[in-house]
Amino acid sequence: MRTRNADKESLVKQEAIEMLVRDGFQGFSMNKLALASGISVATLYIYYRDKDDLIQKIGAEIGKQFMAKTLQGFNPQMGFAEGLRKQWENRAAFALKFRKEVACYEIIRHSRHGDDIVEESLKGFKTAMGDFTHNAIKNGELISVSVEVFWSIAYGPLYTLLRFHEEGKSIGGRPFKFSKKVMDESFQLVLKALQ
Amino acid sequence: MTIDLSNILIFKTNIQTEFDRLRIKNVLDASQKVLKWNIDMDDVDRVLRVVSDTLTAEQIISVLEYVGFECAELE
Repeated sequence: MRTRNADKESLVKQEAIEMLVRDGFQGFSMNKLALASGISVATLYIYYRDKDDLIQKIGAEIGKQFMAKTLQGFNPQMGFAEGLRKQWENRAAFALKFRKEVACYEIIRHSRHGDDIVEESLKGFKTAMGDFTHNAIKNGELISVSVEVFWSIAYGPLYTLLRFHEEGKSIGGRPFKFSKKVMDESFQLVLKALQ
Repeated sequence: MTIDLSNILIFKTNIQTEFDRLRIKNVLDASQKVLKWNIDMDDVDRVLRVVSDTLTAEQIISVLEYVGFECAELE
């Protein structure tokens, strides 16, 4: 009888993430993945129904991982400044540690699978973040703005800095490295804007 | 639902179009011995995946050949 081999499965996932990041969604194929993972195409199809099934499962898994890390040490009842700070720390730590996973998640999110994955994997996360901002508005710690305006101001600067870091340079090709100092500086400005 | 992995059969086929897929669908959906099936139309090998407790690879190959398709088991 064939059995599921956990090591093999996680190797396949790692290879799939790398291939998606390197070759993009269009350049990804089950054949190439089987070859790269050192398993037969048939074995790959035993684990996953088809390419869509595999991509959805990988996306959902990264989403769950992201959610778990981002909610670590955070709770929606926290004061706004403390809670948002925790979000920044967690999101930065995740992006810095799981660079390939983040890049892969972005590719999947912008594909036709995007909506399903966001719905599936981020359910609990959305509720927690929603409760957090509602509490903050109720307590007068956060001005009332639309979700889009809130998100772009609350997290936009962080993700811009992380992107600079990822590219190793900022505007005009200036060398750039993300640091706690840079994060603290921009976080203070964000707080000022939102309070 | 958990599926016994030894009941999954994988084939390379020459199914090309959606019309081809529908012809296969008519045959496979009609068999109660086929618990689940799908074809990866994105793949060059148009991989057919069949879940069945009772059918053998040879039986599925002969069904597909009967309908006029090429089909070979992938190992």
